[in-house]
Amino acid sequence: MTGLLAVKLRRDLRATWPRIALMVVAIAVSLTAFSAVLYAWSAIDREVERAYLSTEPASATIRFAPGVDTERMAAIAAEARDQPGVLEATGRTQFTSDITVVGEPRDVRLQVFAAAPDDPLTMARFFVEDGAWPPDPGEIYLGRDSLDLLEVAVGDAVTVETPDGEAIRLWVAGTVYDPSLSPAAQEQAGRGYLSTASLAAVGESEAAAAGQWSPGSPLDQLKIQVAGPDETTPSRDRDTIVAVAGDVALWLQQAHGLAVAEIQVPEPYAHPHQGQADALLSALLVGAGAALLLSTILVANMLGGLFAQQIPQIGIMKAIGARAGSIARLYLAMTLLIAGVATLLALAPGILIGRAFAPAVFDFLGIDPAGLAPAWWTYLVVLAAGVVLPVLMALVPLVKTSRTTVRAAIDHRGAGADPRRATRVLARLGRIARLDRGLLMALRNTIRRPARFLLSAGLLASAGMMFVAGLSARDGMEAVAAETAELLQWDVAVQLATPVSVDVLAPVVGQVSGVERFEGWTTASASLSGPGGLPVSRTYPDQGHGRLQVTALPADTTTFAPPELSEGRWLEAQETGAIVLNQVTLAAADADIQTGDTVQLSIAGVSTRWRVVGIAEERGATSSAYVTAEGLATALGEPRWSNALRIVTSDHDEQARATAADAVDQALAGAGIDVQSADSVGRQEAVTGGHLEPILVILLATALPMGVIGCIGLASTMGANVLERIREFGVMHAIGARPKAVRRIVIAEGIFIALASCLLAVLPALGVTAAIGALLGNTFMYAPLPFRPSILAALIWTGLVVLGAWLATDAAATRASRLTVREALAYL
Amino acid sequence: MNADTADAAIRVSHVVKTYPLGAGEVVAVDHLSLDIAYGEFVAIVGRSGSGKTTLLNLLAGIDRPTSGTVHVARADLGSLSESGLATWRGHNVGLVFQFFQLLPTLTVVENVMLPMDFARKVPVADRRDRALHLLDRVGIGDQADKLPATLSGGQQQRAAIARALANDPPLLLADEPTGNLDSHTADAVLKLFADLNADGRTIVVVTHERDIRSIVGREVTLVDRRIVDDERTGASA
Repeated sequence: MTGLLAVKLRRDLRATWPRIALMVVAIAVSLTAFSAVLYAWSAIDREVERAYLSTEPASATIRFAPGVDTERMAAIAAEARDQPGVLEATGRTQFTSDITVVGEPRDVRLQVFAAAPDDPLTMARFFVEDGAWPPDPGEIYLGRDSLDLLEVAVGDAVTVETPDGEAIRLWVAGTVYDPSLSPAAQEQAGRGYLSTASLAAVGESEAAAAGQWSPGSPLDQLKIQVAGPDETTPSRDRDTIVAVAGDVALWLQQAHGLAVAEIQVPEPYAHPHQGQADALLSALLVGAGAALLLSTILVANMLGGLFAQQIPQIGIMKAIGARAGSIARLYLAMTLLIAGVATLLALAPGILIGRAFAPAVFDFLGIDPAGLAPAWWTYLVVLAAGVVLPVLMALVPLVKTSRTTVRAAIDHRGAGADPRRATRVLARLGRIARLDRGLLMALRNTIRRPARFLLSAGLLASAGMMFVAGLSARDGMEAVAAETAELLQWDVAVQLATPVSVDVLAPVVGQVSGVERFEGWTTASASLSGPGGLPVSRTYPDQGHGRLQVTALPADTTTFAPPELSEGRWLEAQETGAIVLNQVTLAAADADIQTGDTVQLSIAGVSTRWRVVGIAEERGATSSAYVTAEGLATALGEPRWSNALRIVTSDHDEQARATAADAVDQALAGAGIDVQSADSVGRQEAVTGGHLEPILVILLATALPMGVIGCIGLASTMGANVLERIREFGVMHAIGARPKAVRRIVIAEGIFIALASCLLAVLPALGVTAAIGALLGNTFMYAPLPFRPSILAALIWTGLVVLGAWLATDAAATRASRLTVREALAYL
Repeated sequence: MNADTADAAIRVSHVVKTYPLGAGEVVAVDHLSLDIAYGEFVAIVGRSGSGKTTLLNLLAGIDRPTSGTVHVARADLGSLSESGLATWRGHNVGLVFQFFQLLPTLTVVENVMLPMDFARKVPVADRRDRALHLLDRVGIGDQADKLPATLSGGQQQRAAIARALANDPPLLLADEPTGNLDSHTADAVLKLFADLNADGRTIVVVTHERDIRSIVGREVTLVDRRIVDDERTGASA
């Protein structure tokens, strides 16, 4: 490029700075969104892996009974390390308990993790923040995110119950950071960590006598790390882990006489919420990438318009000796400059927003990042996306323009497009009496440049589509909550520590004030059996993620509404051997299970076989299976018993429910029945909501850059339309049009485009609503969200886009209205 | 190139130029032949639609003939690519348009320097001096650093003529150079052309000015896309 062409470039940029600025802003905004997500993702990906692996998570946890003491466990773990494929082994235990803080009971329960005092914590680690491992006997460390949830402080005295119902008083001596678990608030469960020395002080009980749990021999989990192909690092292959863990479990049974209750093999190297975080970030990156692509298409179009405006000058330059190469270099430099400046502008905000956004995801995952710095390669990707993508998109108009011949330049008439096309389409409107000629003209002008009209309307439609789809997804989520609430046709749920006959419960619960009626259910943790008939689950150490719960329903239940079935049928009254699994269970299973198949479940340590008669689709539910009460009793070879009460209260407000829950708790305790929990139905909604709210906010935020780009697109289109029709506006002024009339026509064009974009967005918005519902639903609930297109969102967007169109068109309209006839006719 | 074309600055042989129009086509130049020797000052006159601008566009390589050949400044324009034509124009032809067509974002002197940048005939260090000299010659040296929009029509046309002379081309082609000027300014511009012709430059001016006979050496009249009169007036150098 010659020096004078560089001068021309500089002055052209200065002369057209509003349009150049719009292009820079369009790329910068979308690139900021794209880079922020990319930077955050790279940091999140690195930090989650680092934090999770820093806990040296167990590849598998083998639960067995009865528990063993620490000395025997140490011997078993040492032998286990010599088993083929085992890298490391250690013994642990855990249980869930009600908690009382300084004498005040808490609604939220506490998961207690215990290890031997001399456990070196080389695997399944957690990090003691205020103190050291092990805590003294009588001390407990709490997960630091549990403090707020439990309303407890370091130094407080708490009381927890061991699995045999013995209350132990503990002093909160410090806090623990455990990045292998999801945040306490999301799971509505506190976490406590103590050494088995704190448990040993508890006296023997009935449960201990029955061999179910012994405070002196509490360790009932063998955690192992399975070697990968290099035999030095843990395996990433779950099948390998299941096979090795199965062999170790058989060895435990045969060599040590321990009954294996379950083998828990979570997804290797994956945080409990890893899948959700990946899905969310992928969706965001795709959204931001789409915004970037749209913005570059917009910029390519705007540059095309700018180049087209320069065609007369290109003709002159060609006429005085310029070659296509010189012209191409001139406009390539212009494109590079715009893309380069936009990329530079996006750099800092991208990093800042990425750094602001990443902590929200870390909170979601319960992880402390060591650093928020993005990976080095992300800068290269952003540079390529910011500089190369716009150039690639602009290449076609650039080459086309630079190859314009002098003849084509002479023939160039600016507006160019055939107005007859629009006129033909809208000709009939002209026959409508009293139709405002100005509006008719605006309407025809709107589609005078079909490609430009489609681009502008398409950009706005894309933003509208995301906005409506985001709010519709929110409606879908609310519908899930409503559906779940509909299914929960009781007011208070009571979980008993040990099963009790319904006949025993009836006189106790039935007389409690505020209780209208109740049903006795049975719930039990279960595992689908894996290789060798051993029960294998995907359960994480929090015992929540990946856990399968079997619910046995009484024949005359009125508090349970059968869920929607995607396959098969519901249970028949008093049917035995039949089971209905929900879609979450199917997703977690290692095998392809269909109706008619037989599945083997380990329930309370008993191996049982069931025929799958139906597949339920329960959004918002965890992994669940349903059988009849008779079916469960038959399978376990025991009489009917209940460990879960579903109570309908006389009044259904939270206060009445809470009062009834307390009264039932006290009545049962008075009758010598151990109650594990007695909660209002309201608590279940809190767990579901905790998972999804931040995602909805982020989802709606993706509509923002698209909306900005859409308005820039509209402003650009209107600017280009006015520039190209300057002579027309001159003629209008010459024949008596007042500035106000011209202004009204231009603004009407913008509003017509905005309204057209709303129409264009209808079908895609429905499609994207379904797609987002499927993505979010399948990621979090293994079933699509209910399809709930939001009319309110569509109305809000229409209002916003019309207002945006007005504002975006104002500058162009002002320019058109202020043109003088002389300026217009002299325009080159 | 043969001996005949080498002798003539312009040789147009049996040229037909048609343009597509709707379902058919319109004939803009119909079997036209014309020779112009080096040093001639030729006016091509005729009414609107007679084909005179098309003829000038053919001579400048802006249009390509539908049939026939156009040789200008020792080049067969039909054989040159668009890029080749650009290079050829930069070295051999100065073009002057009715509406001046100065680049609006470059100053007057920069407009004149631009063809030198493209052709690279004039050393970089000499380009500004040469441009200023040319502006002095056309009488607007004091306007050199202004933007074209601030100049009057006559001044812009003088700047356009200076730009056409930038690479010292042997041939100047002007399309209605006085069509957008008042009579006084038009006379001054035509006088400038006459002076340039007196320096030995070949000049072809398309015009509808009947008064041009007094200053050109030859007047070619087109009617209905054909040459109907080719008259030497004896006024040129």
